[in-house]
Amino acid sequence: MVPSDAELLRLMLAGEEKAFTELYRRHKGFVYRFALLMSGQASVAEEVTQEVFLALLRNGHRYDPERGSLKAYLCGAARNQVLLLMEKERPYVQLVEESDEGEAVPIAQLISGDDPLGDCARNEANRLVRQAVLALPARYREVIVLCDFQEMSYAEAALALDCPVGTVNSRLHRGHALLLKKLRAAVRLDSAAPNAQGMRCFA
Amino acid sequence: MNCQDFEKLALDLACNSLLDAAARDQGLIHTEVCSRCAARLAEERALLARVRAVAAELAGEEPPARVDAALLAAFRAQTAATASSTVIPIPSRARHWSSWKLAAVAAGILLLISVMAIIWRSASSRMPRREERVVAPAPVNTPGHRAAPPDGRDQMAAEQPKNLPKRVRRRASVDSPDEVEVVTRFFPLREGEDLTTLDSLQVMRIELPGSAFGEVGLPVDPEMVNEPVKADVVLGQDGLARAIRFVR
Repeated sequence: MVPSDAELLRLMLAGEEKAFTELYRRHKGFVYRFALLMSGQASVAEEVTQEVFLALLRNGHRYDPERGSLKAYLCGAARNQVLLLMEKERPYVQLVEESDEGEAVPIAQLISGDDPLGDCARNEANRLVRQAVLALPARYREVIVLCDFQEMSYAEAALALDCPVGTVNSRLHRGHALLLKKLRAAVRLDSAAPNAQGMRCFA
Repeated sequence: MNCQDFEKLALDLACNSLLDAAARDQGLIHTEVCSRCAARLAEERALLARVRAVAAELAGEEPPARVDAALLAAFRAQTAATASSTVIPIPSRARHWSSWKLAAVAAGILLLISVMAIIWRSASSRMPRREERVVAPAPVNTPGHRAAPPDGRDQMAAEQPKNLPKRVRRRASVDSPDEVEVVTRFFPLREGEDLTTLDSLQVMRIELPGSAFGEVGLPVDPEMVNEPVKADVVLGQDGLARAIRFVR
């Protein structure tokens, strides 16, 4: 029988290494990809993953299985870390366009050089989607990453984001509208400036 | 169904997650008569298809091995630290110490340290020769962390005369064989904090009333309530007290 996350967490807090490695194996990908999609930077995703699991080691006893899944709990922690790191970086790089209206943003700046998202961007359509997601305000980006990319239920996303399900629903609708608007703009920009493609490596 | 109602369903229709079959049918019928909503649905479906393609592309993305190794090392360090800190059993009440009590004790200890520092400083200014009697706090050797480098003040400790008043004498990190102390374990003053994660720590010897035993869940001898008790307080780099142990 496969032990539940709560059981593994209990064993982990009692010092059982196998329980920790199993919990980490189960959730590391989800946490890492969430941070990667939210930040567009592998270095941030690494740092967030490390901090989230260190926090679980230190404060795992605070998790209450009755309030929701461990995945949602970890996701909430990851979200806080991502926002914290993005806030720290804000003075140096403007990653997020905070306007709800989805004005054009300097898309070329949104994916940094050490970003595996950018490095593996061989599919133009995928590249545009990722860039458009990164250009969304954080409150819309996080629901889209959770519900669309990570296929989390609205209820779990609400728990992770610490907001009502209705808020998740409305932000998802608004986020989709903004995303479509940005994609349309990006397609226009790309077709108007074909040389821009030369800036990326498709080797 | 009108266009406004359709808009509320468009997302769920696009990802086929609408559980209400009647609403779904009504929405689809609406797209047959409204080209604008049909285009809206097609656009949502195209967006979701793109999103899923990106998700599939990223499905294999995981943190690199260095993160795995760092976390495993942290787990082992924490487990080792926990095991070493359970040599002396404590009453169960101490394990469920509420955060306000921790904060109160920490604040009290900080206040006491500040007052003592002021007293020592004023005493030192009146009697300059006393300065050399104050010895550096002993560094704490926590697992995985280096002790603070010696700064020469331990040398002063070794040279101080033995007939000093007890209140100004401070113990160096190594006790002489004839001065054996009995100490308790360190009781954390901040719930859930792992001292091994702090960059540097220092220990300061202070005196507290005997009632302080009760604050960390130890039994208090009624005759000792107002008697001074020696204690070592662990201070973080920020000067805040992190743990305390009692000394006899």
